[in-house]
Amino acid sequence: MPGLPLAVRETTNYGCSCSQSRTDQMCRQQSRVRLSAEEQLAAEESLSVYCKPVELYNILQRRAIQSPSFLQRCLQYKIQAKRKRRIQITISLIGGQNAEVGERIFPFYVLLARPIDDTVAKHSSAYRLSHPRVLNNFNEFGKKDETEATFVIPDIKKLTTDARVNNLNIIVVSKGELKGGSGENHLLKEHEALSSFLKCEGNCFWGKIPVDSLCLSLEKCVTLSLGHRTDMLSAVNMQRSIVQPKYLDRNDCILFQTQDMDSTSTFQVQVSICAQEVAAIETSPYDFYSYDDIPTSSLPHVIRLRTGNVLFNYRYYNNLLQKTEVTEDFSCPFCLVKCASFKGLSFHLNSSHDLFNFEFWVTEEYQAVNVSVRTDMWRSEVVPDGIDPRVQTFFYRSNFKRRRRSKNSVQAASHVHPHVLVSPEAAIEGSHEEYDNNGTCSSQRPHAYTADTSLTNGCNDGGSYKDDVKSRKSLVRGAQLLPTKNKFENGPQHRHAEEYSGHVLSSPDTTGVCGSTTQASTSNDFAQQASGINLASQNMLQFAKMRKISDERADPRNRALLQKRQFFHSHRAQPMALEQVFADRDSEDEVDDDIADFEDRRMLDDFVDVTKDEKQIMHLWNSFVRKQRVLADGHIPWACEAFSQLHGQNLVRSPALIWCWKLFMIKLWNHSLLDARTMNNCSLILERCANENLVPKQS
Amino acid sequence: MAKSGLGCEPAVGSLTASRKREYKVSNRVHEGKRPLYAIAFNFIDARYYDIFATVGGNRVTVYRCLEGGLIAVLQAYVDEEKDESFYTLSWACDIDGTPFLVAGGSNGIIRVINAGTEKIHKSFVGHGDSVNEIRTQALKPSLVVSASKDESVRLWNLHTGICILIFAGAGGHRNEVLSVDFHPSDIYRIASCGMDNTVRIWSMKEFWTYVEKSFTWTDLPSKFPTKYVQFPVFIASVHCNYVDCTRWLGDFVLSKSVDNEIVLWEPKTKEQSPGEGAVDILQKYPVPECDIWFIKFSCDFHYNSAAIGNREGKIFVWELQSSPPGLIARLSHAQCKSPIRQTAMSFDGSTILSCCEDGSIWRWDTVS
Repeated sequence: MPGLPLAVRETTNYGCSCSQSRTDQMCRQQSRVRLSAEEQLAAEESLSVYCKPVELYNILQRRAIQSPSFLQRCLQYKIQAKRKRRIQITISLIGGQNAEVGERIFPFYVLLARPIDDTVAKHSSAYRLSHPRVLNNFNEFGKKDETEATFVIPDIKKLTTDARVNNLNIIVVSKGELKGGSGENHLLKEHEALSSFLKCEGNCFWGKIPVDSLCLSLEKCVTLSLGHRTDMLSAVNMQRSIVQPKYLDRNDCILFQTQDMDSTSTFQVQVSICAQEVAAIETSPYDFYSYDDIPTSSLPHVIRLRTGNVLFNYRYYNNLLQKTEVTEDFSCPFCLVKCASFKGLSFHLNSSHDLFNFEFWVTEEYQAVNVSVRTDMWRSEVVPDGIDPRVQTFFYRSNFKRRRRSKNSVQAASHVHPHVLVSPEAAIEGSHEEYDNNGTCSSQRPHAYTADTSLTNGCNDGGSYKDDVKSRKSLVRGAQLLPTKNKFENGPQHRHAEEYSGHVLSSPDTTGVCGSTTQASTSNDFAQQASGINLASQNMLQFAKMRKISDERADPRNRALLQKRQFFHSHRAQPMALEQVFADRDSEDEVDDDIADFEDRRMLDDFVDVTKDEKQIMHLWNSFVRKQRVLADGHIPWACEAFSQLHGQNLVRSPALIWCWKLFMIKLWNHSLLDARTMNNCSLILERCANENLVPKQS
Repeated sequence: MAKSGLGCEPAVGSLTASRKREYKVSNRVHEGKRPLYAIAFNFIDARYYDIFATVGGNRVTVYRCLEGGLIAVLQAYVDEEKDESFYTLSWACDIDGTPFLVAGGSNGIIRVINAGTEKIHKSFVGHGDSVNEIRTQALKPSLVVSASKDESVRLWNLHTGICILIFAGAGGHRNEVLSVDFHPSDIYRIASCGMDNTVRIWSMKEFWTYVEKSFTWTDLPSKFPTKYVQFPVFIASVHCNYVDCTRWLGDFVLSKSVDNEIVLWEPKTKEQSPGEGAVDILQKYPVPECDIWFIKFSCDFHYNSAAIGNREGKIFVWELQSSPPGLIARLSHAQCKSPIRQTAMSFDGSTILSCCEDGSIWRWDTVS
């Protein structure tokens, strides 16, 4: 595992128990466990189970370089997108330079827009808008809100070359008349800003800053590419025009209709533009260290703080020991592929390295993955040389052929025997004896269905087919493919199938029998009397007597009858074992408490107008009532006291719960299900619980 | 329930075949007069990708697809019950990798056949009526799920023979369950559909301890605390008639009813309130003359394409993951006229098998 080993890390904060426990859980140190030499050997050995899968994954990784998987391509794209450089442009108005315009230009909208070609009228221009921002103040000291509009646009290179992003404009719109409403415009979200902008159609002043020209001036700044900020001032001509929202297919288009061009309808605004190159990737100061510079003692600390660093704990020796490594940039420790994010890493690990189990941990300090080798699906797929794994279970066996061979040919035996020896499936054992004894096998005669000549477009003609059969003979271990056109029904295999049905499909007695018939037959002695018109008491008496007698007398017969047939659980319809049939317990009215609790909680979760504490009390009560079988009104007082007793300790610990419980008791009292005295008793019980809780604290 | 509106119309595939791949009939086998209801390649074990099995009547037959269009019979099993009519089968395997064949049908008894020993491994009793479909959990191939006419879906452990969970009850299906499928990556999730016109998505996350317990259970299988999962996480009304086949395509669902199309849709479940959610219908794959129920489609291993037969014996091969969907090929033969109940696509989609109601198996191979 080619990550950075973290074995040097010492547990320096030994005394600090609080953080220790978590750290301990995350990175259990090997040094904690004292091992004898023998155990160490065993531990080494258990670590070596990692070798094989890692080896396999290295091979797969080498193959995947040519054609990376879909997931890997997605993650690669994410990494590229993260690293892509962009320009952040901030636009603001500076009060001093726009003194003659004054406050009346607010609200001042700044938008990114692209002209739409289908402009018909001469004096109008249509734009498709996005990212509207509102300025409500000059960018001056002391005014913080809504003084800047920030956009992120692609970098200069892309702006000049990519056709999709050229022709971009920054449009500024001022609606001087709407000054009064600007106070309400505070803190608009993006889509709200757009809708509020589109709402107030009518007269306005607007101007544009083409991004192309912006680019020209930005290209001159050498410092931009070095990450410095570039400031510039630009004068924008504002023209008076009428705004019309234009709903083409989407509602983000707008039409400016320019009115008469005279000096009164235009004015200039000085706009301050700041440009800065940004990369979407967040760099932390720790990223600039290289590992050589730092002393080993602080290495783990730095390692932990880097965003892309992930701890890998490899568990081995029955999870007693672990080896810890760190990888950078969310890399996979097995194939060193970068995975863009912790989520991406988890997807990659689960999908590409399924011979391991992974547990993912994220805390403020760590991103860690606990790795262990999967044992549940582990079966050896190593096959000895010269053996085709595909014929380990399914192969042709010829009843007819083999019998002949075993009589007169030693060669035939040599064909059969290696086969028997190499097939590891215990499965085949059943037919082995027959193999060895006389070479016959109770299996299907080999039979190949060839192309039916009646098929006009079948791609085999007779000649090529025969060749094919010949070539195949060797492949299928001497079993011959007979070029018959037998219909399945008439073929010899039909006979075989019948032979088979005798011993292969042996099944338990599965004919469903209703248990009630049995009962009826054993108890018909008293059934008549039960249905008679005798008084109930008499009937019951006789019933009891009769049962006693019939039990004694009919017990062996009863048992025999019960043994004779299969019984089933009434709910799950699973066959009952004999001991279950004779057992006292019956599955008929079993209540599954776990599931009932789960369903109750789920039902309560559906309520939206109930607090968490109320749900908790409801759940506890429902569960209590079900388990204690509180059925009648008269049970309620007892249930309340018992409930207080049972959950008292929990209740007194959280006042919200106790409050809910008391409200519930009041509700019961309202319905006259609970008397004041019992309520008082419950309060006393809870008080006692509270006191018991307090006592250990004081002492 | 399904969302509709501007920009939300599903992409419907065109019925003109792109002829990206051409298929030709390479073989035909008559197994008997009785209808064949299911045919399936073994995708569970890489050694046996060319092995397939069919069920029909009380018989299960195992074949191998050989090169040059040949089909070889390997094993045949006949159930002791004469009146059994198997409707479905699925390949599975034991913990040690022995291939299992799991078949179920009208009697409601699920037969697990060990193809290695050629003996019955176990028989699962529990369903109160016929079993309509069995599917294997590819992530744990000793788990199978069965859909039954008794309106329930059951999860079984082949290794220990335990019925682990029953998906039925208050939120369960209201009529026969016709089809069921495991989510390919979310091991807790299954989808089922049936004659109540709904597709239900179930989660066994809360019940997973029981699944784990079933592997280590040493007592009698019938003593296992089988649990009922009563409420699905999502009920989708995508179709307005019997839904007879459903498969997961990633997190999306492919399902078909009797209205001549397969529908691809996205279930949008809400985490907080199970049972609620919306359906976004993404794509439709038209299949003409496919208006009788119990016709199932099959996909290749990577779900790149799907093949489905119709009432007239034609097969439509759709490219699943392109948008709009593209018809790869339309397969028909003058002598194949009876309804195709089920198809089987080989691992890479180069071979398509179909089983017909007249008891014939047709093999189609790509022509290079």
